[in-house]
Amino acid sequence: MGEHLGVGIGWRSEIDLTVERMQGVDFVEVVAENIHRDHLPESLRVLRARGLPVLPHAVSLSLGGAEPLDTDRVEHLAAVADLLDAPLVSDHVCFVRAGGLDSGHLMPVPRTRDALEVLVANVTQARSILGRPLALENIAALLEWPNAELTEARFLRELVERTDCLLLVDVANMWANAKNLGADPVELLDGIPLERLAYVHVAGGVEVDGVYHDTHAHAVPQGVLDLLGELCSRVRPPGVLLERDDRYPSDAVLADELAAIRAVVAA
Amino acid sequence: MSREEVAAAQGELLRSLLAGGSPPAGFDPGAIRVEAAALLGKRRRIVREIDPGTAEELGDRFAELFAEYALANPRRDGSRFREDAVAFAAWATERGHLRRARRRWWRRSG
Repeated sequence: MGEHLGVGIGWRSEIDLTVERMQGVDFVEVVAENIHRDHLPESLRVLRARGLPVLPHAVSLSLGGAEPLDTDRVEHLAAVADLLDAPLVSDHVCFVRAGGLDSGHLMPVPRTRDALEVLVANVTQARSILGRPLALENIAALLEWPNAELTEARFLRELVERTDCLLLVDVANMWANAKNLGADPVELLDGIPLERLAYVHVAGGVEVDGVYHDTHAHAVPQGVLDLLGELCSRVRPPGVLLERDDRYPSDAVLADELAAIRAVVAA
Repeated sequence: MSREEVAAAQGELLRSLLAGGSPPAGFDPGAIRVEAAALLGKRRRIVREIDPGTAEELGDRFAELFAEYALANPRRDGSRFREDAVAFAAWATERGHLRRARRRWWRRSG
């Protein structure tokens, strides 16, 4: 299990003052690709000076990509982690680039033995560069690869156990996959090694034409909080973090969402 | 599936989602369409944020023109969204959808 973090929110430059002023923020996360490797935004320096953990979260390592790992991106993440003196870093179980193209978003990998071997090799190589704990996050997908050989739970479990990684469990992504792909989030919670939990992501989304989009730009649905409750009934999460990336609401609304998260964790 | 085969399958999926390639065997074509639309929408939102002036001038035609541009110019590995926004504005200008005098670099150099 990862070290205690508490309740946090994703730091974004658009809401830097909001995050600085908000009561009861125990830690924050920053998108590593948005940070220079040699100097921090003033707001993050303020938070670090207060002793708040700031965790770099990467979105572009493409750890599930079968082409050679882009070690420059891993080195950037490591440099940002050094600058923040971060206890851990994270990225997703996904691929982003292939065949010379960049999807601009997190794409699911085939749940096959061979794709698992690719991930294990890339994550092992990345860890040797990072030199600190790496947490891997489950993603939301709008499509599924055919011919899966492993359940998502089995796939994630083997991945983190073989690479000695932590888990960053995104309950909003689990909720999205339940809605869009018919995945069973409770079965997933039962099958993943929660003793390796680093922290949890919570986010909102919106349903358009029968498809649930995990936008990080809308209110957190009750179903996502219920899943957080399911998780908390199995394990006390070291941390829970709200991700909000767009269409920022008032400070009061964000504070209410954090309070709702805190209430679920404390229940 | 070897590592090379996984790479080829991932490349085929991205070509289908980003560059108008046929849906790879075994995938639900409906899900491919939904994912392709979601990826296009995200790319369009980011370009609009970077260059709101171009989106504003194109008005109602922005989404349609951006879709046409995006299909012909899928984002390359290593490219940046800022370059994407500049390339879209150039593409729209070349085709007469944008007035040249409005381009920001004219104002800057002037």
